[in-house]
Amino acid sequence: MSIIYVLIPIAILFVLIAIGIFFWAVRSEQFSDLEKQGHSILFDDDKEQHKKANERD
Amino acid sequence: MSQSCFHCLEPIPSGFDGQVTYEHEQHPVCCIGCQAVAEHIIAEGMSDYYKFRTVKAGKVENLVPDQLKIIESYDNDAIQEDFISHQGSLNEVLLSVEGISCAACAWLIEKQLLALNGVARVDVNTSTHRAMILWDPSLIKLSEMIASLHNIGYKTYPFQADEEASQKQAVAKAYVRRLGVAGIMTMQVMMFAFAMYFGMFSGMDENFEEYFRWISFVLATPVILYSALPFLSNAIKGLKAKQLNMDLPVSMAIFGAYVASSYATIMHTGEVYFESICMFTFLLLLGKYLEFRARLKASEFTANLHKLLPLTARKLLESGEELIIAAKQLTLGDKILVKAGETIPADGLVIEGKTSVDESMMTGEHLPVSKIVGNQVFAGTNNHDGVITIEINQLGQNTLINQIIRLQHSALTKRPKLVEVTDKVAQWFVACLLLFATATAIGWYPISPDKAFWITISVLVATCPCALSLAIPTALTCAVANLTKKGILIKEAHVLETLPKVTRFAFDKTGTLTEGRFTITDVVTLSDSYDKETCLKFAGQLEHFSEHPIAKAFEDYFPNNRALDNVEVCSGYGIQGVIQNLNIAIGKPSWFDNYESDAQAVLFIDAKPVCEFKLSDKVRNSARNVIAQLKSQGVTSHMLTGDSSNSGRLLATQLKMDSVQSACTPKDKQSYVDDWASKGEVVAMVGDGINDSPVFNSAHLSIAMETGADISKNTADVVLLRSDLVAIPALITVAKKTKLIVRQNLALSLIYNGSILPLAALGMVEPWQAVIGMSASSIIVICNSLRLLKL
Repeated sequence: MSIIYVLIPIAILFVLIAIGIFFWAVRSEQFSDLEKQGHSILFDDDKEQHKKANERD
Repeated sequence: MSQSCFHCLEPIPSGFDGQVTYEHEQHPVCCIGCQAVAEHIIAEGMSDYYKFRTVKAGKVENLVPDQLKIIESYDNDAIQEDFISHQGSLNEVLLSVEGISCAACAWLIEKQLLALNGVARVDVNTSTHRAMILWDPSLIKLSEMIASLHNIGYKTYPFQADEEASQKQAVAKAYVRRLGVAGIMTMQVMMFAFAMYFGMFSGMDENFEEYFRWISFVLATPVILYSALPFLSNAIKGLKAKQLNMDLPVSMAIFGAYVASSYATIMHTGEVYFESICMFTFLLLLGKYLEFRARLKASEFTANLHKLLPLTARKLLESGEELIIAAKQLTLGDKILVKAGETIPADGLVIEGKTSVDESMMTGEHLPVSKIVGNQVFAGTNNHDGVITIEINQLGQNTLINQIIRLQHSALTKRPKLVEVTDKVAQWFVACLLLFATATAIGWYPISPDKAFWITISVLVATCPCALSLAIPTALTCAVANLTKKGILIKEAHVLETLPKVTRFAFDKTGTLTEGRFTITDVVTLSDSYDKETCLKFAGQLEHFSEHPIAKAFEDYFPNNRALDNVEVCSGYGIQGVIQNLNIAIGKPSWFDNYESDAQAVLFIDAKPVCEFKLSDKVRNSARNVIAQLKSQGVTSHMLTGDSSNSGRLLATQLKMDSVQSACTPKDKQSYVDDWASKGEVVAMVGDGINDSPVFNSAHLSIAMETGADISKNTADVVLLRSDLVAIPALITVAKKTKLIVRQNLALSLIYNGSILPLAALGMVEPWQAVIGMSASSIIVICNSLRLLKL
């Protein structure tokens, strides 16, 4: 059981990293417009598809 | 095949048959502009836009060479100084983009700009309608980027963020960070707390327990010292202003429990409650953030005043040369040139040329005012048809527009502050709570000094006015969110409180009850040799060359072939020209022969009246219903209009309104409303122009139309985004329901607080139980408020 003396600080380190990433995300405006970020997954880079579609014809 | 434009979804005018090919099908478009944009979007492989957009695109207008020149002037270093910041070798600019309506637009803009060489980063915000661009000035010019956005149909200009807006953004970010820290850390602390709870039953190694306590202490510290700090600073701020606010008991509980738990951890005695205070902080912060966010979104939406004044001006040099400079660099006595369609950048006297100026933003008078040499023109008004040279005589703070803004600000401080009442109640509640907590501490100290502290903390936490403080904001937030979905923007929290009490609605006429757009209602021919068709065709030919608002009514009758010569605008009368060797003219009835008629426009051929056109400003479809609905609820409706003609009176009778005041100056409107208010009436004002903005501050409640002037939208408490009066009854319904829910919430939280108080004071509630009780009461209140979302 004494392994938790080591594991818990490591877990806390991960938490700190997570908070660091979170702060970075806040700074780079990822939370300023939630609607756009939510939709952005729908748009893929359709330039490639577009070309392919044209080639198929 | 649909009969609306593929790009902007507007109806297709007869005679135009442009088409675009999209996914192997032909789709009609309404104009060359839309065609070019749609073809560009499809050719660039960005056709996803049409798949995912949720709102129609704006109509596209072609850039004229003059506009291009203005856009190019943005590359000028002196002009750029105002709105550009530097990041290493890159430049950063914030652009205000007209026509962003949904996520698809944002995607389209980002895609278009990122394809350009030299653009490093683009970030489009769909809620503020702004785009941040980071670019390398050695590779691409700002004007090229703006022009490329124009290619896909977005009008763009540099945006200067004002102090207040950027401050609010910073606060929002700080909230998110605090919330994130509290959320992540609370999860961790909870984990160890659970281990300790179970340890209590199964017997835990003392070393482990000690270790877990220290870990909890380490994890809880950032939550208390970072996330919960605003509560403490607010409480101190309140104390300094000799006020007891809700933050005071909250921070006493949080920091008291934290200090005691830390003491217990370090000295190995007593209980620790890190998990309770972390959760408490998180929940409180969440409530506050949601409330703040709703308010932020509302204020962001209304456009900035800067948009009203142009950034650049055409300065005339001694040599007669024309130089585009930043409007800020103008000095008194400068001579500037203002072309047709441009906005006047500063107040001044006309020294050359004649024109008509649209001053509706200032005066509410929708007809253009003619300006000749020696007349004063005002910054922010729109030059209609002529080219004028003006000599600047007022700048900055002294311009009329800034005076109007100041008038608003002074009236703003006089606004009845209903919110203060709630604050007062809260003060009393907090005072009682503190007294009670002190009494508990004093009462328990002689009995058991050990327990006295924790019981006091329990009292503070359990009776924490959390549910109480959430009762109003959550209900308001849900109501506001619901209304936003319906296209009604609430900018002030007091709106929903005031609305159920309103006894009078005052409406502006043009643009509010009417659409501010003229249509032809009746055509009467006076001569047998010309039929209606021919008359309308002639009128359409002529009016095509006029910028007068009435001319827009004839837009549909413009034949594609131009057969007009010698067009001449006769200021104050109308417009004349020659078609098929006939001298035709359209304008005021009294133009020729002293002809008398009550029609707004008469067509003359060879100076003989041949046709009368009766025009009317189209009444909004919903106006009659809304006024009837208000009446059924015992609310009277009144018209306050700047229009001096009889049409206001006619419209009022037609709509069955209770009273009319025409030819009102902004000051008159204000005094009517003040008069009503002094008689104990609660007045709501609905309007759209700059002339309505002073009265907005006098009225208890102000509602502006989205189509109205920016200034009035900034002042108003409510903005109707769809410019539809139907929103008003909906607004009242939601407000009444909100009032009910707020009452239920207050009752619920008072019952909870009242019943837990004696239990906590008797020491029957452990702090962790107190937190659960507090959370449960908050959750019940929140759930109750959520019902407002589904109205």
